[in-house]
Amino acid sequence: MRTPIAWLRDYVELNLDTNAIVEQLAAIGFPVDAVETRPHISGVVVGKIVKLEKHPNADRLQVCTIDVAREQMLTIATAATNVAEGQVIPVATIGAQLPTMKIEPRKMRGIDSEGMLCSAEELGLPGEWFEEGIMQLDVSCRLGADVVQMFGLQYDVLDVDITPNRVDAMCMMGLARELGAALGKPTKVPETSVSYGGQRVDDDGAIVDVSFDSLDVRVTLESLDCRRYVAQRVSSLRVRPAKSWMRVRLALAGQRPINNLVDISNFVMLEVGQPLHFFDFAKIGGKHIIVRDAKPGEQIVTLDGEERTLDSTSLLIADESQATGLAGLKGGQVSEVSETTRELVIESANWVGPRIRRMSVALGLRTDASTRNEKNLAIGLADLGAARAARLLEQEGGIIHIPRGFGKTPGELTVVKLPTTEVDRLLGFTVSDKEMIDALNALGFEATVNGMMLHATVPMWRGDVTIAADIVEEIARIVGYGRVPTVIPAVPEQTVTSDEFHRERLIASTGAALGFAEVFSLALQAKAVETRWRDAGIDVPKPVEIRNPLSEDQRYMRFSLVPSLLEFIARDGAPRALFELGHLFSEGASDPIEQSVATFVLAQTKSDHPAYTDPTFLALKSKMNALVRAACGSEPTAVRATYPALHPGKTAALHIGDVVVGYVGVLDPRLAFAYELGGPVSAAVLFLDALPHATAASYRSASRFPAIERDLALIVAPEVSAGDLSDAVRGNSPLVRDVRVFDEYRGAQIGENKKSLAMRVTLQRDDATMTDAEADGAIAAILAVLRDRFEATIRG
Amino acid sequence: MSDLDQKLSALASRFDAALTGAPDEKALDEVRVAFLGRSGEITLIRRSIGELPPPERPEAGKTINAAVEALEAQLQSALASLERRHLDAALDETIDVTFPAPRAALGTLHPIRRIMNELADYFERHGFAVVLGPEIETDANNFDALNIPPDHPAREGLDSFYLRPDLLLRTHTSPMQVRTMREHQPPVAVIVPGKAYRRDAIDARHSYMFHQCEGLLVGEGVHFGHLKGMLTGMCRALFGPAQAVRFRPSFFPFTEPSAEVDTTCPGCGGSGCRTCGGSGWIELGGSGMVHPNVLRSVGYDPSLVTGWAFGFGIERIAMVRYEMSDIRDFYENTPAFLEQLG
Repeated sequence: MRTPIAWLRDYVELNLDTNAIVEQLAAIGFPVDAVETRPHISGVVVGKIVKLEKHPNADRLQVCTIDVAREQMLTIATAATNVAEGQVIPVATIGAQLPTMKIEPRKMRGIDSEGMLCSAEELGLPGEWFEEGIMQLDVSCRLGADVVQMFGLQYDVLDVDITPNRVDAMCMMGLARELGAALGKPTKVPETSVSYGGQRVDDDGAIVDVSFDSLDVRVTLESLDCRRYVAQRVSSLRVRPAKSWMRVRLALAGQRPINNLVDISNFVMLEVGQPLHFFDFAKIGGKHIIVRDAKPGEQIVTLDGEERTLDSTSLLIADESQATGLAGLKGGQVSEVSETTRELVIESANWVGPRIRRMSVALGLRTDASTRNEKNLAIGLADLGAARAARLLEQEGGIIHIPRGFGKTPGELTVVKLPTTEVDRLLGFTVSDKEMIDALNALGFEATVNGMMLHATVPMWRGDVTIAADIVEEIARIVGYGRVPTVIPAVPEQTVTSDEFHRERLIASTGAALGFAEVFSLALQAKAVETRWRDAGIDVPKPVEIRNPLSEDQRYMRFSLVPSLLEFIARDGAPRALFELGHLFSEGASDPIEQSVATFVLAQTKSDHPAYTDPTFLALKSKMNALVRAACGSEPTAVRATYPALHPGKTAALHIGDVVVGYVGVLDPRLAFAYELGGPVSAAVLFLDALPHATAASYRSASRFPAIERDLALIVAPEVSAGDLSDAVRGNSPLVRDVRVFDEYRGAQIGENKKSLAMRVTLQRDDATMTDAEADGAIAAILAVLRDRFEATIRG
Repeated sequence: MSDLDQKLSALASRFDAALTGAPDEKALDEVRVAFLGRSGEITLIRRSIGELPPPERPEAGKTINAAVEALEAQLQSALASLERRHLDAALDETIDVTFPAPRAALGTLHPIRRIMNELADYFERHGFAVVLGPEIETDANNFDALNIPPDHPAREGLDSFYLRPDLLLRTHTSPMQVRTMREHQPPVAVIVPGKAYRRDAIDARHSYMFHQCEGLLVGEGVHFGHLKGMLTGMCRALFGPAQAVRFRPSFFPFTEPSAEVDTTCPGCGGSGCRTCGGSGWIELGGSGMVHPNVLRSVGYDPSLVTGWAFGFGIERIAMVRYEMSDIRDFYENTPAFLEQLG
């Protein structure tokens, strides 16, 4: 909220510089997002044009004689066209400093000009919000007064961040009250006293007595979402620019001045926090104000000129014939205050916040009024808002009628009771009874201590304070959060464990140890990713769709981590080894499915190798084996399988027992083509939730006797796999300690439709040195089995 | 001097000359074979013992053996000196050590992972567990159970991606407070690192997906000072031993009292710089005492247990730590970025 320090000073004494005010506000929970430093201006005083003459030597200049309450009148030549005798205006005297210039004596076409008349812009105000030409001050301003002092133009403007619970502080009074409490200073309350009734001079000059109690408008509240509705009629008004001090206040607060009536409604909202609406009395159809739900399809043209079609979410202010405003949100054009308005009705109402919020969301319309009304304003504020507006309208010449309130009246004030030890229990430091009472009273509470209990009566504007913890926060804000001690807790044993995190961490650090670079990529993607995969002929699960994406680029949740990894590789080229841990999303039968995976991609530079021993595949398989070993303590078994994104003939499922813990394979060539990847790429996925946790290993002593290694070259049919052959050898004899297939060969030497697999078999005994004869016997037995099961023959 | 002595002496001179002339191990071996080998000169001399009268033969044998020993010692010494020469030559070699080595592939962890690990290390040292959770959440866990009923104005700042009216992408890691407390009786001490999503357009400082670390301690006698203690330690572990922590009052529906947490700007040590915008402090995120309504929503009794919670942005911590200025760098994963910070 834009907060001119000058405006705060109307209610609380602030002998602090801007930085100190900013710090003080932050210390009590109102951080300042930005400070607008005001330009340095001096030497500008209030002057009155007592004589205006044409410049003798220049058609476009006029010469003003100006009274600035000094012994001598000032003579100032001006090119401004909006000047007239009798006007009160800001005068920059000789030596004055303006934002962009310093005023020196100068001759204007032969006349010595002793200063300059100022526009609003020359005083550092938004020029387009004020009259063109010279700024007009009020005739009541004291001549010779310093304009900067008068308007407080030397004070900076703060952009204060107000948390949504503190709607009471979304106004100058509220922030001033908070600052006052923090500084131990009293706050002034805006004047609200008025005289009711009076005399009006009619247009034909007749004097008419105006009754003080004639609302002459019926009010019907058809919805409980209007908790209170205060209506007050004001007669005998003239629409004109507001007083200059009010226009300056509003402009500094970022509110464009319009006219005296509109400005007063805005001023009161910014001052005391109660949004108001003014109806032109003459335009209220049937002199009946009705608060009711909108009918589906009902239409209204709001003050901004928009025609809006409503549904029953909307709550309306209506007269007997039509909707005249969106409750708590925005007025309608039909009853708008205009140049011809002579009488108005002040609406100062209180709404059920969530209703206003629903309506605001449904209409996509947020206003200064709705941001306040949706936060459950205090009911009592409705009466205050009307009274303050009446006072200001009276100063504009209005005749004030007695206000009429409808709906609820403010209830009894809340009393919160809590043990005096509660501050200590929650915050860890003790506060004396006196400190607690003083802090609360400074904030407008009425606090007493009764034995061990603190009783705090909550002021009407603090609807956010309802429980003991709220009171503790109030006390802490004032005594200072700096009092919170620094204590390391002794955390007791608990039942929560970190298993899942540790598994992820282990996979990540092992992946890095194996040479992969970890990436984190964004989890939302465009439809194009899915389309690209489907077009390439890859199976894609039904992706999860975001209903309200920010853009089409982010409409779907990722169904695989492979696409972004491939994009990085396409961008950066090979060699590259990347991995990512993250969640995959797909639509399930009833609910979306979320799965935690680790995905690895290995891109290598092109190399020549026979198609049946792909080094890209083996390189990644060895790393996946290592990862699974690290995570579960045992090596997975590779079983031929298929998996989306992987080559259907070059993919293995990784099994631990019966559980598939992941897949490893060569990238599907259709994807490699789609992503324009040159070299060989392999990819793997591990399902983190499927990985069994490592069980405690038991140690098997290594044999102390020498081992014998035998290499066998076997000729088999091409479909016999290295895994089948090794399993058969391993299961054959307890003497076999290790089997490793280390080469595959196909070619003319062994004939068509055959392949040769070379394996090394390690034989060893635990109890004695093995003899060659024993080894020969074992190998012979192995060969016999391989011959039986695979028709394997020794390569001659 | 006997004939034998003369022969041996002549042989020794020739042996010596041959050794001296042998340039390498192979030549030395040839010398060994020629003189000491099975059919070498010594063998010929040994055979000539048979021509001597028997009484002289033992003495002659001894003489020959002594000579052989001397020759072998000489040979060994020649071998040793040859090896020494090789080593000297090896020592004399030089290379251009500035010649660039091929780049060894070193795996890396993403900076977000690194910060998560550091947070986990610190909190686990103090008895906390680290838990993870789903990114698709129910509206009830993400909002209602955290004391943010529908139409609450606080939902404004937590603009969500919805999958269904009742399902969304979690806007913070806080629903894990609810999940953890529902499954476990107090005491509960956890941190929750993980992804969160908010409908923010992407720019240098915002991203619709980001990482948070939630912290929660609930039990008997837990107070706000314990949070300050843990966070002071955390900041010291992350940024250095001089870090201080301060609380500023704030508002979050699921904590009361609530506080924003600041720590000394590591860039300037608190004197004010560009990183901290001159304030000397860096904002870490929100915190507070768990709201009694949240404790009640998980079946805890707020009169018996108290607790605190915090939620910090991991990217924010990493950006301060690594002096980064653009949050998008985290998700673009360029080789330059990963090599520098991974």
